[in-house]
Amino acid sequence: MKDGTAEMDENFERIINTGCCHDCGGRCVLKAHVKNGKITRIETDNEKEPQLRACSRGRAYRQRVYSEERLKYPLRRIGERGEGKFERISWEEALNHVASKILEIKEKYGNSAILFVPGGGNQGMLHGVTPVGLMLNQIGGYTRMWGIPSYEGALFASMATYGTMMTGNARDDLLNSNLIIMWGWNPANTVWDPGTSLWLAKAREKGIKIIAVDPIFTDSAAVLANDWISIRPGTDTAMLIAMAHVIITENLQDQPFIDKYTVGYDVYKEYVLGREDGQPKTPKWAEKITTVPEKTIINLARDYATNKPAALIAGWGPARTAFGEQYSRAANVLCAITGNIGINGGYASGFMRAYSSRESVGSTGKKKEGPIKQNDETSKPKKPRPQDNLVDFNAPPRKDALYKLRGGTNPANTRVHFNDYYNLILQGTKGGYPADIKMAYICGTNRLNQYGNVNKGVKALKSLEFIVTHEQFMNPTAKFADIILPANTFMERDDIAVPWLGSPYYIYLNKAIDSRFETKSDLEICRELSKKLGIKTSLLFLPEDQILRIFASPRKDIKNYNKMKKEGYYKVKVEEPFVAFKKHIEDPENNPFPTLSGKIEIYCEHIAEKNNPLIPAIPKYFSHDEHYDSPLAEKYPLQLITPHNKRRTHSSLHNIPWLEEIEPHAAWINPTDASVRNIKNGDLIDVYNDRGRIRIHAKVTERISPGVVCVYQGAWYKPNKDSVDLGGCANVLTQDSYSPGGAFPLNSSLVEVELYQKEQLEGK
Amino acid sequence: MTQMGFYFDQTRCTGCFTCAVACKDWHDTPAGPINWIRINTIEKGKFPNLFLSYLAIACNHCADPPCVKACPTSAITKREKDGIVIVDGEKCIGKDECGFKCLKVCPWEAPQFSIELNSKMEKCDLCLDRLEKGQQTICAEACPMYALDVGSMEQLQEKYGNIVEAEGFLNNDKIKPSIIFTPKRSI
Repeated sequence: MKDGTAEMDENFERIINTGCCHDCGGRCVLKAHVKNGKITRIETDNEKEPQLRACSRGRAYRQRVYSEERLKYPLRRIGERGEGKFERISWEEALNHVASKILEIKEKYGNSAILFVPGGGNQGMLHGVTPVGLMLNQIGGYTRMWGIPSYEGALFASMATYGTMMTGNARDDLLNSNLIIMWGWNPANTVWDPGTSLWLAKAREKGIKIIAVDPIFTDSAAVLANDWISIRPGTDTAMLIAMAHVIITENLQDQPFIDKYTVGYDVYKEYVLGREDGQPKTPKWAEKITTVPEKTIINLARDYATNKPAALIAGWGPARTAFGEQYSRAANVLCAITGNIGINGGYASGFMRAYSSRESVGSTGKKKEGPIKQNDETSKPKKPRPQDNLVDFNAPPRKDALYKLRGGTNPANTRVHFNDYYNLILQGTKGGYPADIKMAYICGTNRLNQYGNVNKGVKALKSLEFIVTHEQFMNPTAKFADIILPANTFMERDDIAVPWLGSPYYIYLNKAIDSRFETKSDLEICRELSKKLGIKTSLLFLPEDQILRIFASPRKDIKNYNKMKKEGYYKVKVEEPFVAFKKHIEDPENNPFPTLSGKIEIYCEHIAEKNNPLIPAIPKYFSHDEHYDSPLAEKYPLQLITPHNKRRTHSSLHNIPWLEEIEPHAAWINPTDASVRNIKNGDLIDVYNDRGRIRIHAKVTERISPGVVCVYQGAWYKPNKDSVDLGGCANVLTQDSYSPGGAFPLNSSLVEVELYQKEQLEGK
Repeated sequence: MTQMGFYFDQTRCTGCFTCAVACKDWHDTPAGPINWIRINTIEKGKFPNLFLSYLAIACNHCADPPCVKACPTSAITKREKDGIVIVDGEKCIGKDECGFKCLKVCPWEAPQFSIELNSKMEKCDLCLDRLEKGQQTICAEACPMYALDVGSMEQLQEKYGNIVEAEGFLNNDKIKPSIIFTPKRSI
């Protein structure tokens, strides 16, 4: 049957090969059944193994595309910021308004007054933030920010220790381990690469011992691991250092490996043994801090050091803390001193990228290897290219950036941290910030909801002259915009996507249906806006397919683009499981590590130069202002953690009924903490600190450590008239600061919890 | 007669609900009380000695299904060919008029009803539409952990053994549920 005839038949159903593309570690195959221009059902990869099976989030996507809550038309704000009152306007009106405001602000205050607020809500190469950034660069740039909440601490540590993000082994290599430690890592809920949990299950079934270290008895701890070690949040560094103490004092370290491949072991040893500060970092010392019994620490250290090859997988969550980079550094160093790097079944931790599909490779497809040349602030200014952002181009490297190291997503000359953006807006140059912000261009992010200190964010957003956002739903951030440009979903456009850690495959997202209502793709929006901004030539003006092919062209491992497009995925053939640093270990003469020393840096020279005691050249454990042992803990005795849950991708998919019913949003609290506060399972409680208050149901469960409250991040902020958030948005309670190495302290907040007294508040 | 049934590997289920969402999407079931496949959570123990497992359970298409006998209008039948238990919505007189007779005799709450007045029973039909095309059920094909399988009981038993017990599952020898497990052992 020819296509033309088939379309006439109302029962004819086409299957469109596409994929899921929000900000999780996955990227999975979706097959959309389309009948009469409407998606009727969704299947996933059912072809050759290994399949890229989607999780519940992708499978529920039909409800997102056809949600009644979709933004349908361009909107102009008519109420107060945050109130949610808008009127429908035409695209012509909306884009004229946005263009004239951008040009007016540029003219009046300069480009640095334009703040670009990008997010990872869409993970495609073409749509989401990419066209917006290109467009804003073409009119002279914008104020940009550095730091990614997910992993900034892990990234800093990865660069400091190894000089690269490419530190992970392929998942199938887990079967070569003798022991796997899942540290603060819950792949059963936060999909990393599709198949991660399956490989862990297969490893356990093979008899490989798996241990989970986490403040929560997570699904991963319960299902994938043999044993669970509960730990006090924010103290992981202390336990890792104490494990080093056991290894060093019992002479279990891999000395030949240390001698050959690392620098700075002796300096670290001095600190660990207490010769530097008088405090030996014994398991007994760590027990007091971590609540993990001394014996458990000793056993884990011995097991790890003597069961080579062993894989210590240090998740990003414990690095989302004050001094989070120290945790990642301590984990990396533990991998190094036991010689578990560069071998099958071992693991280097670090950033954990395992394949280069995600890396921006050069035109030859090969990256230069070896120790890098120092490229410091004395080198002569570069000439900007058309794609560069002129606002902070050639600015000196920011303080504490690892600017001498290549790679990463850590632009050295960008001077405002992403979690410090409310202070930037509220204080500007008077407060020592590099710009006075007048407008925000928001794309791909529910920014207000997903970064620290929402209530300060409300003040900051209210103070701006102009806010524009591309959005799909009226989320808490969109309510603050002056103009909302309704964006389509990935089912309504073409794109290419790759997973976070770069497993060897690509997803080609074929457009399944036409854009619903008056929505447009981010590319279409930027194309039209570019013209109104007076941009004469632009990459964005090329046909969509051509731009996508240009973006994909550096990926030399896509051998057959058309096949990828037709099938909806491209699985790259790999001869054997990728093992990070294999050649660096097998042939170090020709393959030095891409660090300043060419070796694994237990002691990082580049950090040492900064002479900042809060970023020590070796990993160290610190307490901080909102730690369990800080004075503030008397007022707010519970530690709040804000991990990802199983039914959202950050704040995306929060409002999807099929997903909402999986797990009701609730604050997890241990029965011992609940009972002294007269709280029973299901009660409505207030979780609060000086930054704000959220009202949420309590889930009283043994699955969380005493002293800890867990509010899964991503629920939508919904304040009542007293500024109490009834939506249960975790970031009402988190800090808008950052660690010296850039880590976002979103798991470092102290709170108190109380039973909600309904009568009392209603009487007010 | 072939008897079709389920295999569930309880040691692998992470409680991700992908099977349930895929089922709702395929069969166009709205969010709410109708769950052709349900995922029950079993939590035991005191901190820090804990046990957690999930039980994904749909309709067990029993060898001797009590719901078939209980139905006053013979709306529920068991197919000769493959033992799949199906319900005819035309014949079902509705929950309020009938009084949930099928649900009352089912040990695993397979019969499902919406909240609407006198709603008709519906339940897992083992994806008849898919099976007839030679495809796997949507739930089994969805499971990221490969913890679910559907096939003839003979084949399943050959592949996985014949354990009919699991955490949170109470067997009933008389009616013979068509399901086998790899159970997760409690602490």
